[in-house]
Amino acid sequence: MRNKGLGHWMLAPALLLLLALIIVPLLYSAGLSAYSWNLTDIDLPKQFTGLANYTKLFGDPTVGTAVLNTVIYVVFAVGIELVLGFVVAAALFEMTKGRKLANALILLPMIIAPVITALLWRYLLDPQFGLVAQLTGTSIGWFGEANLALPALIAVDVWQWTPFVILILHAGMLSIGQEQFEAASIDGAGRPTVYRRIVIPAIVPQIMIVLLFRTMDTYRIFDTVFVLTKGGPGLSTETIGLYTYRTGFSYFDMGYAMALSIFILVTVVIISSFYIRLLRRREVLR
Amino acid sequence: MRRRDWWVVGSYAVVGLFLLWVLVPIVTVALNSVKSPQDIFSSSPTLSFTPTGDNYGKVLGELSFQTFLVNSTIVALGSTLLSVVVGVPAAYALARLPVRGREWWAWLILFTRMVPAVALVVPMFVIFQRLQLLGTYTALVAAHTTFNLPIVIWMMRSFFEELPRDLEEAAQVDGSGRFGAFLRVALPLTSPGLAATGVLCLLFSWNEFLFALVLSGRETQTTPIGVASFIGTVSVDWGGSSAAAVLAMIPVFVLGLAAQRFLVRGLTFGAVKG
Repeated sequence: MRNKGLGHWMLAPALLLLLALIIVPLLYSAGLSAYSWNLTDIDLPKQFTGLANYTKLFGDPTVGTAVLNTVIYVVFAVGIELVLGFVVAAALFEMTKGRKLANALILLPMIIAPVITALLWRYLLDPQFGLVAQLTGTSIGWFGEANLALPALIAVDVWQWTPFVILILHAGMLSIGQEQFEAASIDGAGRPTVYRRIVIPAIVPQIMIVLLFRTMDTYRIFDTVFVLTKGGPGLSTETIGLYTYRTGFSYFDMGYAMALSIFILVTVVIISSFYIRLLRRREVLR
Repeated sequence: MRRRDWWVVGSYAVVGLFLLWVLVPIVTVALNSVKSPQDIFSSSPTLSFTPTGDNYGKVLGELSFQTFLVNSTIVALGSTLLSVVVGVPAAYALARLPVRGREWWAWLILFTRMVPAVALVVPMFVIFQRLQLLGTYTALVAAHTTFNLPIVIWMMRSFFEELPRDLEEAAQVDGSGRFGAFLRVALPLTSPGLAATGVLCLLFSWNEFLFALVLSGRETQTTPIGVASFIGTVSVDWGGSSAAAVLAMIPVFVLGLAAQRFLVRGLTFGAVKG
């Protein structure tokens, strides 16, 4: 077998590149998170402080607020996206004509850059000249009010990512065998029964995949929040990603920023492993 | 009407309403991009106005927005090319060739999909500063490869696994060897998938914001940075920024619709075939 090593040669470059670009920076981050190191003060050298950054992290009220905001954001955004996405996917599924065109238009929001999505909504919700204000005759500064900013950001997320949920759930519905529906119609089952007994159980894997990807990606939300509210007003829309960014690139507190980025990494991996274990048990992922 | 018909009517209504919700923000910005300031900042929204090309003239003239578009193109092409050249052979190895610890490697690559950009950008900033690569295209291409390479590997692996094994075995009998079977049989047969994968990589790179924000320099800033800089300023130029947004969206719509069939697979890392 002269080709025994071929697989390794074909795989090696990719693994080395991932090692250099992802694993090395993460290890570097983990290492430096044990130092007190601020870039604004050149005279002050890096100082080994052990776990001090992590003790600080768990006692930092901003981290608490940011995590709470992030959790609210994830729960509401993903929850609304899942319910709305299911309804629209089912409606698409019932359609007899125009499904292709509807599909093509529905996917548009999710391929637009989040920064541009932010711009669209910044103008749509402008208190003075925005379409929403003009059509309703109100002048609400959605992104400027402490108790409205987070709901407004959630609406932006729902706009951008419900299409993703629709496409996946719809694909799941299309893969259900026709004979199951025929059997149900012979039994005289109505549409609600068909959805409850056949469709929903059949698309459980797709629902779980949606939950995995949306949770993972919403948890790390950055772009739209950065553009629309910068975490404000006050700390009302501060997220953990934004706080990490600010610690590193506004305060230049690199040691602490690295500890925060390790915190994000570890929490994301814990959440994802939980989902992935569920998915593997149901043999959705290998 | 029968009960069944009401379901169909209701479905069209639901999809119609959802399409309205999807399209209104996009159409609003597209209209703003061809409106004069007086029409944008009028007290009531109107559809009757004289279209103007001034915003585009300004954005492509004095604001030279095309620099951002060119930078985005360079970075997207660079990162896509690197990810495809390195990722496709790796995907084939994981799908077809005897590799020790194959499942373990596949999972390691999936793990890299979970790593949030914000966790990587802090150490990358310091490392690239040390290497004096901050502000270069190289830094951006490298950063964008961190999400594009895993996507290429997982997506192409799913395409290779769908090929019937007999075809490659036949090629090997012809004396092509396994690498020959990869080059001459597997690769051409998966070329639609490969094209879609490449398109998705271009798309993800084109839209990426955080790495570009931290790692790019004055000369290498990409389109999202350009658009964000329009929003950040105190006196927001609605017409100009809308024109910029439209210019940034057009390539995305073309690419996205071209890869429509494989979009779901790409976004779910090959988990949903779509």
